[in-house]
Amino acid sequence: MKYIVIILLVWFSNQAGQDTYVCKNAKISLFSKAPLEDIDATSNTGTSVLNVATGDMAFSVPIRSFTFEKSLMQEHFNENYMESDKYPNATFKGKIQEKLDVTKDGSYPVNAAGVFEVHGVKQTRTIKGTVTVSKGVVSLASTFIVACKDHNIEIPQLVFQKIAETIQIKVAASYTLYKK
Amino acid sequence: MKHYLLLAAFTLFTGMAFAQQPPAKKDTISSADSLLNSLSGETKAEPVMATFKSTRLILSETSETIKKNNLNFVIVHRFGDIGGNDGGGKTLWGFDNSSDIYIGFEYGLTDNLDIDFGRSKYEQLLELGLKYNFLHQTSDNSIPVALTVIGKTGLKPYSVTTNVFDDYGNRFNYFAQLVIARKFSSRFSAQISPSFVRNNLPFPFVEGNEKDFFSLSAAGRFKITKRMGIVVDYAHPFSDFRRNSDSPKFYDPSGVGIEIETGGHVFTMNFTNAEAISPMNYLSNTQSKWGKGQYRFGFTITRVFDFNPKHKGTYK
Repeated sequence: MKYIVIILLVWFSNQAGQDTYVCKNAKISLFSKAPLEDIDATSNTGTSVLNVATGDMAFSVPIRSFTFEKSLMQEHFNENYMESDKYPNATFKGKIQEKLDVTKDGSYPVNAAGVFEVHGVKQTRTIKGTVTVSKGVVSLASTFIVACKDHNIEIPQLVFQKIAETIQIKVAASYTLYKK
Repeated sequence: MKHYLLLAAFTLFTGMAFAQQPPAKKDTISSADSLLNSLSGETKAEPVMATFKSTRLILSETSETIKKNNLNFVIVHRFGDIGGNDGGGKTLWGFDNSSDIYIGFEYGLTDNLDIDFGRSKYEQLLELGLKYNFLHQTSDNSIPVALTVIGKTGLKPYSVTTNVFDDYGNRFNYFAQLVIARKFSSRFSAQISPSFVRNNLPFPFVEGNEKDFFSLSAAGRFKITKRMGIVVDYAHPFSDFRRNSDSPKFYDPSGVGIEIETGGHVFTMNFTNAEAISPMNYLSNTQSKWGKGQYRFGFTITRVFDFNPKHKGTYK
């Protein structure tokens, strides 16, 4: 019986420190179908924090970290569309609505409600995703659509390479327990 | 008894856990936020990109180079005098004539080094050059300017009836320039460029003209919209001969125009008193004066082609 008490004690005292998970190399990709050629870009330097107890989560990715196949595209993305010198990061800060149980392996569909900020424009959004727990590794994946006009990203009339009005975003983050 | 102890311990701890939750919850939101900030670190100093939209303004080359495996196709055109003796309605204000046409290619060997080849109608000048952007301005201003060096060799291949080109070396001209550029804001960029010109055969070939002279150029761009801006360009050759000569008389080349970027193409439409396009030509020999109507309409079109191997989509 004594042991059970000790186990309980240890379990509870550890609980608080085991809630926060971090990821420093979240992969964030964007894709847009365009008449001339498809546009895609990837960043591997997204950062994320996830509190599995409360469901609080935050994402941030530097706009400059997206690499494109074509350097001119990358320049236009930063210069003309995203204005990355003024708005260097895209962020999401929110809360996962579902209760997470990271002690059990499995795949859990989740909804994260929060504020999505791109190009200096904040949008309140609920974004669907999947939290996967496998052998103690917590990961999160999500695919969603961003409309350029929601974030005041202008698509000018006078361009030969027209880009689509909506961009698909894919996010994949694999978390590790945060140790202070 | 043991059971009660256990139960008591359990309730105590759960109670504590619950009691702690409300403040803990608040903490985690802000702590998640500050944790994120500490993870993403301070915004890193990035090299400033796109100080200019293209490699050319009106007269000057900018600090920009063509990125690796990209080819920039350049067409520059200068029409004839709008006013004065050679202008007016009889030449459709210069549109009947072309004082110079330049067709060129610039190819990126690395992201900071390109090789350039081009040909001018003016003096039939063939030129081959290298351009190296060896210092980038950074967003935190620890490096406040971008520095680019340009070196060009020009060759005049045409045949003449005189013996000036008997020595083949006399056909060669050289140009070296340091471009000091700064993007002051997303709207305003400017550059100054000290340069050196060497014409093995003084050009124009007139008694007293120097083979070598220095020159200083200043140019800038102010964007009115994201894709359109006003550009100005000015150059002053430091040449005693050019300053003192009365016949021919020389003037500083200058230009003003608008630049439009359309994604891939950059157009510049301009007015300038310089007849020639290559710096070896316009720095050496600008005899036309704004005040006499000897200015012309001109345009520059640049188009970048990417020859990087096709990649498989990264969006997986």
